[in-house]
This record gives sequence, structure tokens and C-alpha cells, in this order.
Amino acid sequence: MPIRPPDRLIARLLVAGVLLGSLASCARRGACTGDYCGTVVIAAAGEPDILLPPVTELSTSRDVYDQLFLKLADLGMSGNTIGDEDFQPQLAERWEWDGPVTLVFHLDPRARWQDGRAVTAGDVVFTYDAYTDSLVNSPFRSSLRLISAVTARDSLTAVFRFRQRYPEMFYDAVYQMRILPAHLLRTIPRDQWRSAPFGRAPVGDGPYRFVAWKAGESLELAADSTFYLGRPHIRRVIVRFTPNLQVVTTQLVAGEADVTEQLGSPDNVKRACAAPQLACYPYKGAAYGYLGFNLATPGDSTKPHPLFGDRELRRALVMAVDRTRLLRNVFGDFAKVPPGPISQLAWIWDPETRELPHDSAQAARLLTRLGWIDSDSDGVRDRAGQKLAFRILVPTTSASRRLYARLLQEQFRTIGAEVQLDEVDLGLFSERARTGRFDAVLYTWNTDPTPSSSIPQTWTQAGLGRSNHGRYVNPAFDRLADRAVGAMNHAEARRLWRTAIEVLNQDAPAIFLFAPDAVAAAHRRITDVTIRPDSWLALLRTWRIPGDRLTDRDRAER
Amino acid sequence: MSAWIVRRLAAAIAIVLAAVTLTFFLLHLAGGSPCGQRDVQSVAPEVCARLRAQFGLDRPIWEQYGKYLWAVLHGDLGQSFWQRRPVIAALGDAMPNTLVLAGTALLIDFTLGLALGVYQAARARRFGDIALGNAALFVNSMPTFWLGLVLLLVFGQWLHLVPVGGTHDPVLCARLDSLHCVGDRLWHLALPALTLGLVGAAATARYQRAAMLEVIAQDFVRTARAKGLRERRVLLVHALRNALLPSITLFGLAFPFLVTGAVLVEWVFAWPGMGWLAVMAIGQRDYPVVTATALVASGMVTVGNLLADVVYAAADPRIRVRGA
Repeated sequence: MPIRPPDRLIARLLVAGVLLGSLASCARRGACTGDYCGTVVIAAAGEPDILLPPVTELSTSRDVYDQLFLKLADLGMSGNTIGDEDFQPQLAERWEWDGPVTLVFHLDPRARWQDGRAVTAGDVVFTYDAYTDSLVNSPFRSSLRLISAVTARDSLTAVFRFRQRYPEMFYDAVYQMRILPAHLLRTIPRDQWRSAPFGRAPVGDGPYRFVAWKAGESLELAADSTFYLGRPHIRRVIVRFTPNLQVVTTQLVAGEADVTEQLGSPDNVKRACAAPQLACYPYKGAAYGYLGFNLATPGDSTKPHPLFGDRELRRALVMAVDRTRLLRNVFGDFAKVPPGPISQLAWIWDPETRELPHDSAQAARLLTRLGWIDSDSDGVRDRAGQKLAFRILVPTTSASRRLYARLLQEQFRTIGAEVQLDEVDLGLFSERARTGRFDAVLYTWNTDPTPSSSIPQTWTQAGLGRSNHGRYVNPAFDRLADRAVGAMNHAEARRLWRTAIEVLNQDAPAIFLFAPDAVAAAHRRITDVTIRPDSWLALLRTWRIPGDRLTDRDRAER
Repeated sequence: MSAWIVRRLAAAIAIVLAAVTLTFFLLHLAGGSPCGQRDVQSVAPEVCARLRAQFGLDRPIWEQYGKYLWAVLHGDLGQSFWQRRPVIAALGDAMPNTLVLAGTALLIDFTLGLALGVYQAARARRFGDIALGNAALFVNSMPTFWLGLVLLLVFGQWLHLVPVGGTHDPVLCARLDSLHCVGDRLWHLALPALTLGLVGAAATARYQRAAMLEVIAQDFVRTARAKGLRERRVLLVHALRNALLPSITLFGLAFPFLVTGAVLVEWVFAWPGMGWLAVMAIGQRDYPVVTATALVASGMVTVGNLLADVVYAAADPRIRVRGA
């Protein structure tokens, strides 16, 4: 005789489910009302490593510690890094030039560390010393190399002395350094800063104070109601860690997160922007991507690459690629073809910059003229027994670059070049790129607001052994870049950069493929959302949720 | 029996050591460095070189291995390159989440699996049995992460019945200090545990059905029925108790399988457990964390196996005699 189906069990499970659901949906109500309430959940693709500014270069760390630590002054919305006129006061209420190479900052006397101590010029001196200390080993150390000394004139006056006069002195003095509390960090040995407990529970002087960090899950900040530059409107900020942008988008669409910096792929953008509760905020992206040719033999930088050592061959390959079509395929309307090695964020972005045209017929003719013909009718050109074949190094972690690699493979095939793909994980990818073990590499750089650091690091003689993995060197380009870096006015710098990039484009050391737009998303109940492209959360303290739009979650107490 | 256990224990230690050694060398031979995984231009080569020296990565690999083993023997799993804190602290945060997930999944696996197996055996070759058998086969043949994505899409995104990720609501339940927050945690656990448990339950049901059918055909079951016992009692008390032996073995093996199998589920559901930690650490070339997760996972697998063997040997002396 068969047993009776477990009706009772099913019924019990259903009741348990309903009870569980009721428990979970029964929210705790808080009492906060008015203009300074509101809780924002930021979905981040990744997790900070540490919250001590000099020892981390992760953007997820920076987004958080920028709410905790102040700079002396910060970049304005224009993004202009030349001179000081477009910078906004932060810790320094004002500054003046005391001669051509001396910059004097006057600290705001109202500034306080969150443990109550006053912020002093001694903290500024301590911070500079830490950033430039080899024991701290800060990734930002090189950006301070032209500052010779920082001293305290009195408790509220810090004096910066530079080695020479140049256009971005002010930018160098303020942009990378977040002022640190000397009284809390002085006792920690500098070589232990990277693992100091302070970095996981910091005390700052910014608009928000650190509350808690649950590894792998979330991090919480609370508004400092006494912040001297104005109390932040959003009371609680929770950064929720997720593994990737797809999960970020899912959490936003499902209403489990309120804000994100970047949605990433066009699919994610469409999904998020279609959600009725979300508003999308496009802004200039800080990245550009390219197919870089290795001009040296892989593994032996003293010899030219058997293919890419030839400038004319590189030019033919550049002309063979329809960059606009590739871009549409991969990014849709959410990226632009860069006119050179620059992101949209760079103020030297100029669509009029001269580039090699897309002309596959001319590319084919050029290859034939160079002696590359398909002598054995196998579809691949060859010359003196050598096939026109090479490999593209691409990271498995980037869906867009993997797609690009396949599309490039196909475009090169049509002109008789055979391409194999080396898809490797990001760690190995970066190491192979850095050590020159590749033919061509699909690279993406995230750049600073200034071209003066990113371009020389990647495309000049000075970048060899640093980020110039393709070993491109043209003294004419180097000279132009030097002049552009040293140009004292904006228009002249812009003109010189354009000329320099045109020289580089003619040499074809790379095919500049994409400069993505960044698209942030935020819940519609959040107003006054202003995003500064170089640091999307820089103005978070001015965002707000009007009283009539507050939800129970906004009012909830911790 | 005790000599047998000691021998199995020694074998288990050797297996864990082999797993850790293999992980250590494979990871180092795979290339990459903890400094080289970021597409930013600010990390100068000299900064990387100093970091490598600080982490001891500039030393010969045998020296690194020797130092690592020595430290592990002294209970020191090292410092995470990426999280900038002791590995033991990172594991301490991740492990409870994985144990909760795998434990719940195991509960679902065996509760549902045994129930379905018994139900199918009782209705062998009838519609219910065939339908459930096919459904179980379908679920069992699905990759766990894919099932997770489907459940996430349907119940999380379309129907909004359950949360789409994480272990709790960070706004309302930052601390586990109320009944509401206990419910919230269980609600967040539901979908990942179900994903992991369903696949296991499908397999368990098939094992249990086969074992039950074998037992049901035996004389003592017929005798029980002849005595006039109710069919439910015959099945659940007499037959099931004797058909549980294969499930005991399965139980011992399932837990470590669930722990390691949770990797992709944790990734899909943004569940910050050991799997998530391992995947992030591999990407960051955080050697100490990866090796430690391998140590813990292989430890769990071998201990699980060992426990299954011990329980099985205790239940069936023939195993012990053969193994002696």
C-alpha cells in the first residue's frame, strides 16, 4: 500500500515560509526626520584592501577614504590641472605663492580630527614625509618627486617648496595627498603601515566617520554632523561589496542598493536605466583601451620585433581596423573612439586630432608593397618564409577586451594576417605585459586627470621599465611631450599635446580602440547628485534625500 | 579499530599536505604577482619590487615553501597580501558563512533527498515516481551555478520574492540583534542554500530510492506487513532504517563536496564565504589566502571521508575487517 503524500509536511513548510517572509519584511522603524536623514547603499564591484591612503591605489579604497580624509584643496568640476584657479579649498582655507617655487597653505582653523584634535600644519608635514618615505612605499611617491620640502611655518601654515617651476605644481601638491593624523600614526612603524589596524578602522577629518567594516560584505560610514565645511545630508553610507558589475546591476535593479559608480557593459546600462526607480548619470570615463604592438622581440628587448619593428607594417594594421564598427559592436553608444592614448576625462581630448584612416584596401596595398603576399594561397600573407602571424594577449577577466580580440582577429584575417589569442588571467596578463612577453596586447589604462603623468609613463623613453610595455620610443614625440608638460598656459599645452599625439599616431605603436563613457546610477529619491568625473563620490556630502522622499530604510537606526 | 583509525588519519594528513604543496607550487608557477594585477599606472616597478621583497616573494621558491610549511606547523597561516591582515582573520570571517550555507544545504539535501527517495520507492514505477525521477535527473544534471542563476533571475529579479545577494540587509540588520534580523539572514540564505541543496537532494533521492527498493523486497519487510503494521510504519521504521547505510557514506562525502561546491554559488549570490575568498584571492595572487583555503578545503574533504569511513566501519564490521 502506498504511503500518503506528505500533505502535512508541505503545509508546514508553507507556514514556515510565510512566517519567515513576515519576519524578514517586518522592518525596524527609525525616528530620523528632516533634511539630514537618509541612508545610501553603494554597490561596489570589489572591496577596499585598506583605508590608509598612502599605501593603496585601489579605486574602491579611494572612494571610501575620500569621505574620511581631506586634501588641502581639490580639483574643480572643470578638471583643469594647470595652475590653481580651478581648485576648491578643503583643509586649506586659502593659499598663496611666495615666489615662483614656494606655495603657502593656510589651514582652516575649524578643521578637526574625528577624535577632537585640531588638524595642524604638523600633520601636513608628517603626511608629506610619509608619502615620500621608502618604508611606506607609497604608489604616489613619484608624483611628489618635484616637491623638495614641506615645512610648518606655524600650527596653521604649511609651506611647500618645489625643485622647479612648472604648470602643475599645485596639482602635484594637493591631488594625491590626503592629510593624515600624525598623532595617531606616528607610533606605527612605517614598514608596517600596509597592515596597520588603523587602515581597517581609520580616524579621519572628512565629512564621514568610519563605523564598521565587515570583510567580504559591507562597510559603513556615518555623517559627521560637526563637519566644518557643512554637515552631509546623507546620514548613513553603506558600501556593499559584490564580485562584479553584473551583480552590482542586479542589486540596483532589485532595489537592494541605491547607487553605483559604473554599470559597465551596455547590457547593464540598459537594465539599470530601464528600472523605474533608478536615474542614470553618464560622465566622462577615465579609461582608454588599445591594441599595443610590442616593438621589441618578446623576451629580448634589445632586438626589434620581427613584425612590429617595422613602422609601415604597423601602419597597415592600424588602417585595416574599422575602429568605429568594433566600438559599436562592443560598447554600443557607450564609448568613443579615442583620438590617441587618452581617456575622455583628459582635458586634451580633441576629436580633430589627425589619425591614420580606416582603409582596408590601402592597408592591403601597403602590405603587398612591403612584400607580404599570400604565396601559398593559404589565406595568410608571408614574406621570405615568415607568415604574417602574431598573437594577441588578452585578460580573461575583461569581457569587452575578449570580444574585441575576436573581432580584431576577424578583421586582420580579411587582410591576410593570422592572429591567435592568448587569453590568460589578469595576474599573469599583467606580468607578461610588464615583462614584454607578448606580440600584441589588449590593454586598458585608467588615467589621472592630467596627461602629464599618464602619457609620458606609457609612451615615452621615460616610461621604459614602467608602463611603456610596447617599448615605443620616438625622440620627436618625447620632446613634444616634454614641451607640453612644461607649457604654462592651458591653450598652449593643449596645442602641443595635440601635435605630440599626431606624431605618435603616425608611428602607429598601437591601435587606440575605445574610451568608454562611465554611467553611474542612483535611486531617484536621491537628489542633487553631482558626479565629478575623476572621483565620482567627491561631492557625496552635497547629495541629499528630501524629507518627503525618505523611506523607512532611510530613517532606520543602526 | 584504533590502529585502523591512526592509519587513516596519517593518510589524511599526507593528502592534505599533498594538496597544499600542489596548490603552493601551481600558484607560484602560474605566474603573475600580487602587485601586477591592476590596470593603473601609478604602481611603479620599484614599488612592486619592494612589495615582493616585503612578502618574501624574491626568495627561491623552495625557501618560500619551507618557510610556509614551518609557519603552518606553528599555526601561522601568514598575512594576506590583498586584505592586509592575518589570513586566519580572513578565514575567520569567511568560514562561518560557508559553514552556514553548506550546513543548510546539507539539511535540504538529506531531508528532501531522503523524503523523495522513500516516496519514490513507495510509488515505484508509478506516475509520481517516474515524474520525480525525471525531475531529479534534470536538476542533478544542471551545473550548480547555472541553477543558481536561474533561481536568482526568477525568484530574485522577476518575482522579487527573495534577496538577490549578500548574507543580510546591511541597512536594517547590520547587527544580528533582533528576531527580524534572524529572519532576514534566513531569508538571504534561502536561495543559495536551496541551489546547493537541490542538486544534492536529486542525487540523494536516487540513491535512497534504489536502497529502499532493495530493502522493501526483503523478507523482514514482508513479515512486518504480514504482522499487520501500517504501511507508513513499515516503510519509515523497518525499511528506511535498513536502507540508510548508503546515505551515511553519502553524508560523509556530501559536506566537503558542498563546501568546495559552494565556490560558484557564493560567487553568484555574492555570499562572502570561503569560495568567494578563494576566487578573489586567486585573482589578486594572494598566495597565503589561496593556500590556506586549499588547506581548509582539503582538510574538510579528508576529515569528511574519514568520518564516513569510521561511521561506516562502526555500522558494518566487514569494512573494518577488510581494511585491517
